[in-house]
Amino acid sequence: MKKLKYIVAACLLIAGQAKAQVPEPVGPQEKPILLMNGTAHIGNGQVIENSFVTFENGKITNVGDATVVRLDMTKFEVINIAGKHVYPGLILPNTTLGLEDISAVRASIDSEEVGDLNPHVRSLVAYNTDSEVIATLRYNGILLAQSTPQGDLVTGTSSIMMLEGWNWEDAQYKADDAIHLNWPTKTFSPRWWMGETEPRKNPNYQSSIDKLEKFFADAKAYSEGQPAVTNLRLEAMKGLFTGAQKLFVHADRRVEIMEGIQFAKASGATSIVLVGGTDAGNCIDFLKDNNIPVLLTDVHRIPGREDEDYDLAYKLPAILSNAGIKVGLTYETLHGSRNLPFTAGTVAAYGGISKEEALKMITSNTAQILGIDGTTGTLENGKDANIVVSEGDILDMRTSKVTSAFIMGKGIILDGKQQMLYDRFKRKYESQK
Amino acid sequence: MKRLILLFMGVSMVLSPALAQENFPVNGAQDKRLNIYAFTNATVVVDYQTTLANATLLVKDGFVEAVGASVAIPKGAIVTDLGGKFIYPSIVDPYTSYGMPEVKRGRRSFMDPPQLDSDRKEAYGWNDAIKADFDGASEFTIDAKTAEKWRKQGFGTVLAFRPDGIVRGSATLVTLSDGPVNEVIVKERAAANYAFDKGSSTQNYPNSIMGYVALLRQTHYDAQWYTSPLNKVQTNVSLEAFNALQSLPQIFETDNKLRLLLADKVGDEFGVQYIIKGSGDEYQRINEVKATQAPLIIPVNYPAAYDVDDPYDALNVSLSQLKHWELAPANAATVAKNGITFAFTASDLKDPADFLPNVRKAIQYGLSEQEALKAITYTPASLLKAADKVGSLKKGMLANFLITSGNLFDEKTSIYENWVQGDKFEVTDMNAPDYAGSYQLNYGGNSFTMEISGKAGSQKAKVKVNDSTSVDAKTTIDGQNISLSFQPDKKKDGNIRLAGWLNGKNFKGDGQVENGDWIKWTATYQSALEEKEKKEDGDSDKAPGLGKIMYPFVAFGNEELPTAKTYLIKGATVWTSEDAGKLESTDVLVQNGKIAQVGKGLSAPAGAVTIDGAGKHLTPGIIDEHTHIALSGVNEGSEAVTSEVRQEDAIDSEDSDIYRQLAGGVVAAQLLHGSANPIGGQSALIKFRWGAAPQDLLIKGADKYIKFALGENVKQSNRPPTSNIRFPQTRMGVEQVMADAFTRAGEYDKEWKAYNGLSAKAKATAVKPRKDLELDALAEILNKQRFVTCHSYVQPEINMMMKVAERFNFRVNTFTHILEGYKVADKMAEHGAGGGTFADWWQYKYEVREAIPYNAALMTMAGVTVAINSDDAEMARRLNQEAAKSIKYADMGEIEAMKMVTINPAKLLHLDSRMGSIKVGKDADLVLWNDHPLSIYAKPEKTMVDGIVYFDIEKDAQMRDAVQDERARIIAKMKSAKASGAATQKPSRQYKHRWDCEDEYLGDIIKASQED
Repeated sequence: MKKLKYIVAACLLIAGQAKAQVPEPVGPQEKPILLMNGTAHIGNGQVIENSFVTFENGKITNVGDATVVRLDMTKFEVINIAGKHVYPGLILPNTTLGLEDISAVRASIDSEEVGDLNPHVRSLVAYNTDSEVIATLRYNGILLAQSTPQGDLVTGTSSIMMLEGWNWEDAQYKADDAIHLNWPTKTFSPRWWMGETEPRKNPNYQSSIDKLEKFFADAKAYSEGQPAVTNLRLEAMKGLFTGAQKLFVHADRRVEIMEGIQFAKASGATSIVLVGGTDAGNCIDFLKDNNIPVLLTDVHRIPGREDEDYDLAYKLPAILSNAGIKVGLTYETLHGSRNLPFTAGTVAAYGGISKEEALKMITSNTAQILGIDGTTGTLENGKDANIVVSEGDILDMRTSKVTSAFIMGKGIILDGKQQMLYDRFKRKYESQK
Repeated sequence: MKRLILLFMGVSMVLSPALAQENFPVNGAQDKRLNIYAFTNATVVVDYQTTLANATLLVKDGFVEAVGASVAIPKGAIVTDLGGKFIYPSIVDPYTSYGMPEVKRGRRSFMDPPQLDSDRKEAYGWNDAIKADFDGASEFTIDAKTAEKWRKQGFGTVLAFRPDGIVRGSATLVTLSDGPVNEVIVKERAAANYAFDKGSSTQNYPNSIMGYVALLRQTHYDAQWYTSPLNKVQTNVSLEAFNALQSLPQIFETDNKLRLLLADKVGDEFGVQYIIKGSGDEYQRINEVKATQAPLIIPVNYPAAYDVDDPYDALNVSLSQLKHWELAPANAATVAKNGITFAFTASDLKDPADFLPNVRKAIQYGLSEQEALKAITYTPASLLKAADKVGSLKKGMLANFLITSGNLFDEKTSIYENWVQGDKFEVTDMNAPDYAGSYQLNYGGNSFTMEISGKAGSQKAKVKVNDSTSVDAKTTIDGQNISLSFQPDKKKDGNIRLAGWLNGKNFKGDGQVENGDWIKWTATYQSALEEKEKKEDGDSDKAPGLGKIMYPFVAFGNEELPTAKTYLIKGATVWTSEDAGKLESTDVLVQNGKIAQVGKGLSAPAGAVTIDGAGKHLTPGIIDEHTHIALSGVNEGSEAVTSEVRQEDAIDSEDSDIYRQLAGGVVAAQLLHGSANPIGGQSALIKFRWGAAPQDLLIKGADKYIKFALGENVKQSNRPPTSNIRFPQTRMGVEQVMADAFTRAGEYDKEWKAYNGLSAKAKATAVKPRKDLELDALAEILNKQRFVTCHSYVQPEINMMMKVAERFNFRVNTFTHILEGYKVADKMAEHGAGGGTFADWWQYKYEVREAIPYNAALMTMAGVTVAINSDDAEMARRLNQEAAKSIKYADMGEIEAMKMVTINPAKLLHLDSRMGSIKVGKDADLVLWNDHPLSIYAKPEKTMVDGIVYFDIEKDAQMRDAVQDERARIIAKMKSAKASGAATQKPSRQYKHRWDCEDEYLGDIIKASQED
């Protein structure tokens, strides 16, 4: 799939179209805000039916039960959200947001660099705040995203971005949070168009691993030594060994998951996360024993094997979570990522866990996995005011209607180009009536 | 080269005295001989029904002269006494490519420009996959090495065809004699061969199963036209040859049971009864296979056991693979039990040496010996209309027979000689001495027990070097002389090498030990070998216990197909998708597959199953207006217009995704062609009757549909510039493709209407116009007998398509994808087009950058009938949720949202009079949900099609256990098979390709990425 873009790229001469309008960024929070009487979903499993949430200068200052606590409301801009629900801003990890717009148009793709040992390649500086996709995610409550380079082996360094800002400097939430290792696959999927139904061996599996072993060993030595010559690639790896950066291992099948994690542990990386994990259900104890959190891709997936339960992917996050593994959810396609909250809804429906537990998989769990739980992921005092208000349950498309959202306390403009087009044609058809 | 052939022929003439070529010159003195052979005192199996004890077979000049108990032996006959031995007609294989030229498969790289025309410059037809002109007899050459290999296994006569193309020309029936080539051909044109495979052709068309079928159909029609007066100038060698093939036995190769059914269906359309070469899985759909009435040629290649020692490797083997391993050897017995005429072939085996053992296995699994013998002698001969020449041993037939030590189907039996056309080919020396027994081996102070075992002529020695270890000795026995080489001690280099001779019942001789010292040795006969006990599994005479067959043959298939019952669903919230809207606490009665009553307080008729619906929601079954599941091919796409192809020909009833859709409340769908060309193929409208065969999935009496497409895919916008050759490459060109197609179709239609309007008398003398399947389908559109579902994205093309339709006086029934439908919704409403769209897909390519999740609502607002459809196997099972997104984004009412996946798609498919809503008299296609059916939390608990519950969440839970149990049972069996020495194969995960609209284009791009 990744190579595909390459080819399209080679074949196409389509230039990216001029950017249509994206919602204008807003200024910093000026006045303390009080969200009154909404049902607060704290993001840690707790719910307060009739709540108040206050935030000031971009930080949450107080969250509590409105039926119990008395508050001096005069100093706040009070927003009555009675009947509505308030959540921590949702977090989308492992995405190409800001790096890619139209997956079939080469000129709009900046997610994959040439080469396979590219830790020095950083999504931060490429993140385009003018991407049209951003507004569509905010519209459904996603306020933070881990913008992640793609590719083979060491794909680059991700950064966690706010979905608001004039430019990437404004929008950075946590720069250079992790290095991403796309663990090689032992087998390639069959080439169906040639009539193949069985996978083929990857002839380079072992040589890729050898290459990685040498690279990580050299990086470690570099970080400990006093190199005379600066090596940008190795320089970029330093954070892995100091604990400043996490290592995200991307792997889907059981053996590859295990070998990838075993490699990561041996490499000296201090903090390891598994991304993908299609077959993670087949190595639960392994993940648990090694204390590896998992970012599961693609809850909305049809079984890959004939004999699997039809709802296997729907319930897998709950199976892992019930086994004691920390689970966050991520989404395979960029354009569909606005459906992230509904994948959590699906986990609640099929996994036999509560909606609040499912909510954690797109809020607090993800924050913990990304290492930003000190400042976001829940509605708790002292955390950044990344807050979403919805008319109803945000995990269910039947009821989810985000009415307002705050990033660092700033009430952002939710409507984007799609809403503009809607309004335009609604007016047209209404006038025809 | 020519000289070489001449030389070879001369030599073989000398070697083959039975055959003489009177008109060929002879180098040297002529060498005619008597060529009379008498085989006496044999058990002669004359044919599969007749066995003569103590009989004589008399052979003269390569033919059977007489056979019987009292045959007079003429003077000059060479007499062989076969006391205790058997004579069989030799095996006839009706499906080989013996002696045929090699076929290079046509492959083109992605970067190659499309090849629209034929490579051949001679006066053939337009498509290289039609190789009707191939004449097997004139291309056949003797392949002595292969012939010998086959003769050793008992084959005497084979049909030779070239496996190249959809129409493969004529096949020739030949013996496995060494020649001369002019005399081995039994029947010059013995069969015509066909397959769904374009072989060496590098032309783009056809590139899908639908295309293969369509090309074959059109070839039939063109061949009819060719001989009509309408053809004034064309000489077409292919069509001429095609016509000439029709009088031969017609053999169609298929690679699975569904293709077998398809081949027969195509044959029926043209009054052809194909003999069908199956794949050994016929038992999985035996009723349908039987109903074809096709004689079958079936292989005996059974899958090897999977190596399931690693439990995670084992996960990669599906239940259907496990079960096929268990059941494949019983296929022939099932086929026979159903009274189907069949012949065996060794063609799918890697080694013909596996043929007889595998036929024996079929016998062990319930096939009678007589049926087995028939399937390897009489039936193949008879299918090829050569039963008067081969397959039995009657006067005047070819002297093609085997001399065996006993019953051919006894594994201990040896084939001694294989006589072909009166020539002897020795397989094993029937006079070979039998030294089997236990011996005491003494040499250089050592004394071991040695066993000689095996069939006489190929016996091997084994030396027992201690109580627990035996080593095989490299053994050469030549008459009375023997040599042995073995290594008694693995740790010690070097071998003991002994050479000696028979001395009474014993052997003696000289030899060298490891260090090179010469020693004397003796092997003294002790006793006969003990009969080994038969192994429990696989080798016992009894048919082993076998699991049940499920329909379809995949996990979660049913052993017994569910049936319609009378159901009373009580007290549910009923979403009618009618004006009545949502009815609280309402009962619905289902009888005879229909909705019989809707109301409150209904009482259950006798025998009704009552389902408590309290707190639950009952909706009409969801209908997916656009899907590609349950298909084995989606895009013909090779040419701009392929209206002749039919998705009906590609239905895959065994697709697990059918079951998964039922688990998402989906009951029916339009299976659409892909979007690789402006005018695609004809749709198939099916209901998800899980377990039914392809033809039974079709919705009977449904209107006919066809897929059109606009935009990037048909313009090939995302392909490399080297392939930008096919017209059209722009929206402007697309319009002209449409205009041209309908202009042609209009003229065609006129021609046919004029012809059809003639009186019977006038018709008798008039010439029928040429039938063109492409134009037929388009003319149906013009005549409002076929309806268009058009893939579309941006507004100018949508508008254009409507204008083209209006110009030709028809309407676009449905625009699918239609992501910019909201921009021209008023025009669509005016035109009368519906829209089948996605809820929120966008931005995956350039033409969808202005797709918005308000599209469905805006089109609805403008008066368009809107359906939410899938084009995706996963999303299809959440269509209720996709509909709910219009509530979220555009405040659509929930009744209206539900309609978008029930009655609206039914309307777009013209099925709304019988499906899509809960109304008395309509099909009982219903879903019972545990929660609000537009909520993410809602799960279907029961999904019913035609009053039959095909998905039940409780039964599903039981089936999960059953799948695990059945897997465990067979895995245990596999492990014991492995333990007892069965060959195994590494489990390798089977990947199923899931199609979507874009496949042709994506496929090619991925292809390129693999090639770079």
